[in-house]
Amino acid sequence: MRLIRLALTAALLAPIAAGGATRTAPAKPEDPETARLRRQVDRLRAERDLASGKGFYLRLDASRYRLALMLQGVALDDYAASALAWGVPEVLFVNRHPGADWDTAAFSKGRLEPQRERDRIEIVAPPLASTAPGAPTPEPSPPPIPKSAEESYSVPSPYRIEFAEGVSLEVRAKGEGGRNRSLFRRFGDAMGLRLSDLGTAVGLGTRERVRLRVTLEAEDAASLYRSLPPDVGLVVIGLPES
Amino acid sequence: MSAEPAPEPVPAPEAPGPPGAAAAIAARVVALGKDLLGQRRVQVASGSVLFLLLAFAGTGWDYRAAPPPGADLSVSPPARPSTREGARLLAERQRLETTLRRKVPRGPWIVIDQTHNRFRLMRGDDTVLEAPCSAGSGMVLKEGTGGRVWVFDTPRGRFEVLSKLANPVWRKPDWAFVEEGEPIPKDPGERLEYGSLGEYALYFGNGYMIHGTLYERLLGRPVSHGCVRLGREPLREVYRQAPLGTPVYIY
Repeated sequence: MRLIRLALTAALLAPIAAGGATRTAPAKPEDPETARLRRQVDRLRAERDLASGKGFYLRLDASRYRLALMLQGVALDDYAASALAWGVPEVLFVNRHPGADWDTAAFSKGRLEPQRERDRIEIVAPPLASTAPGAPTPEPSPPPIPKSAEESYSVPSPYRIEFAEGVSLEVRAKGEGGRNRSLFRRFGDAMGLRLSDLGTAVGLGTRERVRLRVTLEAEDAASLYRSLPPDVGLVVIGLPES
Repeated sequence: MSAEPAPEPVPAPEAPGPPGAAAAIAARVVALGKDLLGQRRVQVASGSVLFLLLAFAGTGWDYRAAPPPGADLSVSPPARPSTREGARLLAERQRLETTLRRKVPRGPWIVIDQTHNRFRLMRGDDTVLEAPCSAGSGMVLKEGTGGRVWVFDTPRGRFEVLSKLANPVWRKPDWAFVEEGEPIPKDPGERLEYGSLGEYALYFGNGYMIHGTLYERLLGRPVSHGCVRLGREPLREVYRQAPLGTPVYIY
């Protein structure tokens, strides 16, 4: 009986003692070199996990200014960025930093904003031709030729790819339409963009906590918008520590 | 005794000064109050405008530009870390990099951009051949009576060349007859069609192939029923260079 009571007391006191022990011996801060290696390893693990799956993903290499569409570790398309930045929401001059290691994880379920709608042509099969001898066989009309991707989708600039984890990738076209638009139109667009940024920064209709912004050649930005597969992933490598 | 009548109420003596002065004072007080209130309103309004301007300026996205390419030195730590944990992490980093490098096929591989109808034959990082192709039209075919529906999409993902055929014969599926308004034959031999797939076909699964076409003028446009059509010369080259097992990436 005494032994049981002793064991129970020990079991009750153990967590307290453990807590006390952790309080008395705080974790030693990691040296910067090891911390840097750990971040690199975490990023590579995230990339390996994406490359082992069956889904498409984007690989943003910030140290080389490259954005690639990947599948199982293979680059299917590769775009050079002329500008690259990452931002956090700021409300009344106070920004909400997402934490040091936000970029060591993989992001998933990326979807285009604004969405890309596909108009499909629907054909109802013609009625069966009569098999009676001597009956005229109507020649079926050839199916219409669908529009090419360039004809089907107009590409907004900027557009965003929003991921489930609150990270988004904003794609801008380099020098988009600057020459062909009036000053008034450009001012209107800039104001619209500013107000949209204001709204997203305060969290209206979005959960964005980090936004990556890349500027691509107009043709590349359009190509990515038109061909981006659904539910794309994202891995970011080469960003310096923030 | 008659009761004495009650005295008439005597009006209160007027305040000294011109008549209506009290009203004037009251009016002035009210005006002063309005003025004060007005100023307050102005103050409140200007304060609000200032706050809104500050809020407008201080709310949005705070961006930091990434250093230009090649400037980030953090990606190349010293070759020999000073701690045991550092050495372990370095070894793991090298292992992961090797794993990722090995994902790229060593032999030939095929990439098909079905949106832009572009076909590429790759070897390592080099493009061996690039040509226009025709991927799925995305059209929807509805059967008039049977209620069946077909969607002519080219599938996305990674596939492999499973078989290669010279002078392939097309075994027409049901939709090919439905689309033409023809009855579906009971004799399998009536489904066979010669010459419409071109000289070669590379089968990559689920009924999908890379094959030739009679309509080369439509290459570059999405007009197929899901297969990938290629021009005569590129198809010959692909047939020659891509062995069985060649990875096919379609996006």
